[in-house]
Amino acid sequence: MKDLTVTVGDRPIRQVNAEIRDAVAAGRDVTVTDTKSRHNLAIGMDARANIRFEGSVGYYCGGLNCGARIQVERNAGWAVGEAMSSGEITVGGYAGMSAGTSMLGGLLHIKGNAGPRCGVAMKGGDIIVEGRIGYLSGFMAHAGRIIALEGAGDACADSLWGGEVWLAGPAKSLGVDTRLTEPSAEQVQEVEALLAERGLADSSRDWRKIVSAQRLWHFQSRDAKAWLMI
Amino acid sequence: MADDLDESGGFPFPMPSEEAVAMRDGSIESHPVGVPESYEEGKSTRWSAKAIADVHAMSQLGRYQLRGFNTFSRSMPTFDDLVFVPATMTRLPLEGYRESCETETVLGDRPGLVSEPIRLAIPIYIASMSFGALSANAKAALGYGASKAGTMTCTGEGGMLEDEREASKLLVYQITPSRYMLDLEHLRKADGIEIVTGQGAKPGTGGVLLGMKVSERVAKMRSLPLGVDQRSTVRHPDFLGADDLQVKIEELREATGYRVPIFVKVGATRPRYDVAIAAKAGADVIVVDGAEGGTGASPEILLDHTGIPTISAVRAAREALDECGMSGEVKLVLAGGIRNGVDAAKALALGADAIMIGTAALIALGCNSPRYFDSYAALGTAPGRCHHCHTGMCPVGITTQDPELEKRVDVAAAAERVARFLTAMTMEITLLAKSCGKSKVSNLEVEDLRALSLEASAFTGVSLAGIDRPYSW
Repeated sequence: MKDLTVTVGDRPIRQVNAEIRDAVAAGRDVTVTDTKSRHNLAIGMDARANIRFEGSVGYYCGGLNCGARIQVERNAGWAVGEAMSSGEITVGGYAGMSAGTSMLGGLLHIKGNAGPRCGVAMKGGDIIVEGRIGYLSGFMAHAGRIIALEGAGDACADSLWGGEVWLAGPAKSLGVDTRLTEPSAEQVQEVEALLAERGLADSSRDWRKIVSAQRLWHFQSRDAKAWLMI
Repeated sequence: MADDLDESGGFPFPMPSEEAVAMRDGSIESHPVGVPESYEEGKSTRWSAKAIADVHAMSQLGRYQLRGFNTFSRSMPTFDDLVFVPATMTRLPLEGYRESCETETVLGDRPGLVSEPIRLAIPIYIASMSFGALSANAKAALGYGASKAGTMTCTGEGGMLEDEREASKLLVYQITPSRYMLDLEHLRKADGIEIVTGQGAKPGTGGVLLGMKVSERVAKMRSLPLGVDQRSTVRHPDFLGADDLQVKIEELREATGYRVPIFVKVGATRPRYDVAIAAKAGADVIVVDGAEGGTGASPEILLDHTGIPTISAVRAAREALDECGMSGEVKLVLAGGIRNGVDAAKALALGADAIMIGTAALIALGCNSPRYFDSYAALGTAPGRCHHCHTGMCPVGITTQDPELEKRVDVAAAAERVARFLTAMTMEITLLAKSCGKSKVSNLEVEDLRALSLEASAFTGVSLAGIDRPYSW
C-alpha cells in the first residue's frame, strides 16, 4: 500500500499522532510533513510503524518507542527516543539535550552531533552518534552502549553504574569514576559490525572504551553494621 | 560586711557551722548543689545526648548518617493542634448510625480529558513505596489490602512489581528521575502515572537504597549491579522547568491515549508556587508530601531539617488551586505523617481531596509489632521504636530483601490488617464528618476546625478556639 502523508503544521498533536497511529494500524508507512519542530511526535509507536519525518522535530520524538522505525530528516529536540525499549530511530541532523534518555533497548542513530547528557540514565540498547556527544553524556547510565565517532565534551561517562561509552575521537574531559580501557579485538569487531550495518564501516578508527571505575558503587562505609550507628 | 561569710552580720545567734549550712543530710557528697537531674540526664540544651552522639558518630564514620522511617524533629506542629467543632445549634449533625456519609473520591475527573478517572471507594490510598525499599510480600499485601478496601496503591520508584500489579486493582506508576524499568508496556498497565519531582522526607534529593537491599530481583528491575549502594538522581533527565513539564505530561498522555490521570508529586517546600506550576503544566492530580513523610533510607539531616510540615503545606496548596481557579478540576492529594482517620479528616477539612498513607500502612502490615524480639535486639532496638528500614534487616520482613525475613510477612493476614485499618480510618473520618453535619467527606471544610495554638492557627489560617478568629499578622 502507498505511504500515507500526514501534515503537522499548527494542528493539535493529538490529532496528528492519532492519524499516524491509524495509518500504522492499517499497515501503511507514514511520511510526516511540515513538522515545524513540534513536540511529542510519534510517541509510543509499536513494531508495525515505519515513520519518516520530513523536517525537524521537537522534544521527545519517538519517545517510549516500542519497536517502530522512525527517521527524522533534519534535527531533533530534547530527549529523542527517550525510554525506547526497542526499534530504531535515525536523526539526519543534530539531536538536542538528553538524546536516548533512559533507553532500555533498540538503536538511536544520530548523524550529526548530540547535545549534552546524551544517553543519561540509559539502561540498554545502542546510541550511535556520528559527530560528538555533549557534556555529561552517559551520566549515571546503567547499561547499553553510546558510540561517538568524533568524541565527547566534558565529563564524559560521569558516574556510570554500568554500560559503555565508545569514543573514536577525543573527549574534552572524562567524568568522575570512569575507567579508560583498550577494547579487545572482538569487542571492536562487534562495534564495527554494528557501524557497518549503518554504512559507517571504517577500519582505521582508534577506539577508546570508557566504563565505570566502580568506586561510586559503594558508599564510603560498606559494612552493614556501620549503618546501625544511629 | 555582706560579702564576709564569717561575719554573724547581726544574727542574734552564733554563726552556724559550715556542715550545717551545707544540708549534708541525704545529699550526695560529690555534688551537693545544682539541678538534681542534671547529674543523671545532662541538661545542656545545646549538647543533648543525641547531639553528642551525632558528633561521636560523624567523627568515627567521616560521613553523615543515614536512616529510614521519618523525622525525629520535635518542632513540627501536628494535626493534634486542631480540633473539630461539630454541629450543634447552628448546623445539624447527621445520625452517626443511621445516616450515610459518601466517601467515594474521584481523581482525574476534569471534564473531557481523561477517559478513565480513578474512582476510589474511600478518600485514602497507599503511598508510593518502592519494591526494593519494601519486600515483595509487603508490596503484595498492601495491594490486596487496598483493593479489598476499594482503593489504590502506588509503585514507588523501583519499577512495576508483578506481584503488586496482580494484587492492586488500581495502581499508580511512578516516573522518577532514575526511570527504573520505565517503558511503554509498563506505562500502559498503570491506572495512573505520577511524575515525581520530590518527596516530603527528603525534598531536593534523590532516593537511596543501600546495598543490603539491592538483591538479585531488585538489581534486575533497576538495571543495577548486584549489591551496590544505589543513590538515585534527583533531577529528571529530560525536563527541567515548568514549560518542559507541560510537554512531558502531553507525551505521557499521548503514550497512554489520554486514558489515565497524570499525577505530579512535590515535596512540601514552597507548595503555593509548586502546586500552581504543576496545575499550569496540566497535572490532573497534585500530590503534596509534607516533611513528616517516611522513607526507606535518607540522610538523617534531611528528614529532620528539610521541608515544611504537612499541616502548613495543605492550606497553601489549596489556596494556590483556588487562586488559579483549578480547584475541582485538579485534585489535591496530601501525605506526610498521617497516622489515622482523625489526621486524615483534618487534612480533608484543610483542603485535601484525598490522603495518602505510607508509614501508617506499614504499621498496619506489622511494622514495629511485638514479635521477633531477638531480631529487634540485633538491631539495638525494640518493638515500638524501630526505625531501621535502611538496614534491610527489618525484624518483621517489611523493609527487607532477605528471603528468610520476608517470609515473616504473611501476605493474607497482613493484607487483611491493611484492609481493616483502611476501613477503620474511613469510619473515623465519617464519624467526624457526620458529627459536623456532612453527608460527604469531601464537604469537610476549614470552618469545621478550630486551632488550639497560635502556631497552628498561624500556619493554617484556622480560627483559634473560642475567639473564632485566625491569628493574623
